Amino acid sequence: MMKELMMSVAIVGLMGCTAVQIPAERLQRSEASIRGAEEVGASGVPAARLHLQLAKDQTVTAKQMAANGEKRALLVLARAESDAELALGLAREASVHDDALRAAQDLKAVRDRGTP
Amino acid sequence: MKTRIRSLLASIAFTGLLGGCATTAPAELVQARTSYAASSNGLAAKLTPTELHDAWAVLAKANKEFDEHGDTTMCRDYAYIAQRKLQLADVKARTEQDRQKIAEAVKAGVVVRDTQVKNTRAALSATREQLKDERRDSNAKTAEIEKTAEQLELEKAARMTAEARLAGAMKDLATIAAIKEETRGLVITLSGSILFASNKYALLNTAMTKLDQVAEALKAQDADKRMVVEGHTDSQGSDRINQPLSVNRAGAVRDYLVSRGVDSDKIRAIGMGSSRPLVDNRNAENRANNRRVEIVIQPSHLSVR
Repeated sequence: MMKELMMSVAIVGLMGCTAVQIPAERLQRSEASIRGAEEVGASGVPAARLHLQLAKDQTVTAKQMAANGEKRALLVLARAESDAELALGLAREASVHDDALRAAQDLKAVRDRGTP
Repeated sequence: MKTRIRSLLASIAFTGLLGGCATTAPAELVQARTSYAASSNGLAAKLTPTELHDAWAVLAKANKEFDEHGDTTMCRDYAYIAQRKLQLADVKARTEQDRQKIAEAVKAGVVVRDTQVKNTRAALSATREQLKDERRDSNAKTAEIEKTAEQLELEKAARMTAEARLAGAMKDLATIAAIKEETRGLVITLSGSILFASNKYALLNTAMTKLDQVAEALKAQDADKRMVVEGHTDSQGSDRINQPLSVNRAGAVRDYLVSRGVDSDKIRAIGMGSSRPLVDNRNAENRANNRRVEIVIQPSHLSVR
């Protein structure tokens, strides 16, 4: 009986120390979002820069949590991913908004030029 | 979308009735719920419904977690993710709106440019036509100028020929007559003795040859010049004889010149009798000089009928 109890404790102990496996595809997706945000210039857009940094920090945290066997690692990674996507969206928005302003200015210039 | 909001509110109310008194919803969840209510009534509902749905699905998980287990870390994590997804739905909606504005601006720009190009073409075409007309006018004017210049050249050449002819005729004339420039005009004086026999007014045969030369000189004069043939006698004999004699002699010379081609409208004959002697009539030589015929070629300003 004592032997069985000892084995159970050992198994539980082993289970507690087992690292949480983050699916590679999830990690890649999160990192790809971060890279994408950087490529479209998120670092140059204040709001986007904040979420980009949060995404990076949370990715590191998620990895550490996974290594420590914390199940929350997956949710933290999901948080990181949502921040990275938002950073990407904000950076794109800034770029497209600039284009829209330019297009409006161009149109005004063309209209102002009028008919010769 | 309204149904979802209603179910979300019902869920919140239910939670409040059963367990709300025990647990207050975490700030993340409250914020996510508020954001969802705003986004589902805003631009995202129209332009990014898929993203809004994704956010709603995560928010539902947060609500479920809160309903079942209260304010847990998982609930907060889901609420956090839902909040980010809602923000993303709004951001994408605004981006889409900007894209639509760009497309509209480009489209409007094309229309404006097309109109401008059309108007420019029309203006260009009008200018071309105007230029064509102006070129046509210019060509006509150039042709006219060239024609005028050509005409002037011809006239100049004709004038030079006429002047040369006149100079030649006057030179020839100078061998048989005295030529003198006076205020009344150019006076050609022919001696009476080479033209007529004494007291006669019929031209001598020898006179005709000389008058031929005179006729050539007269014809070479400018067309507007007028001429007067004056008959003069000496003072021998009475005026009764001399006057008609001078008239007849002038007439004979005039008629002969007309027969040789001088325009009859431009030449007339008058008899001066002995009234205007060149010199006194005291000797035979002087009297011979006074018997004469003068042809006066009047200057243009005097050449009036």
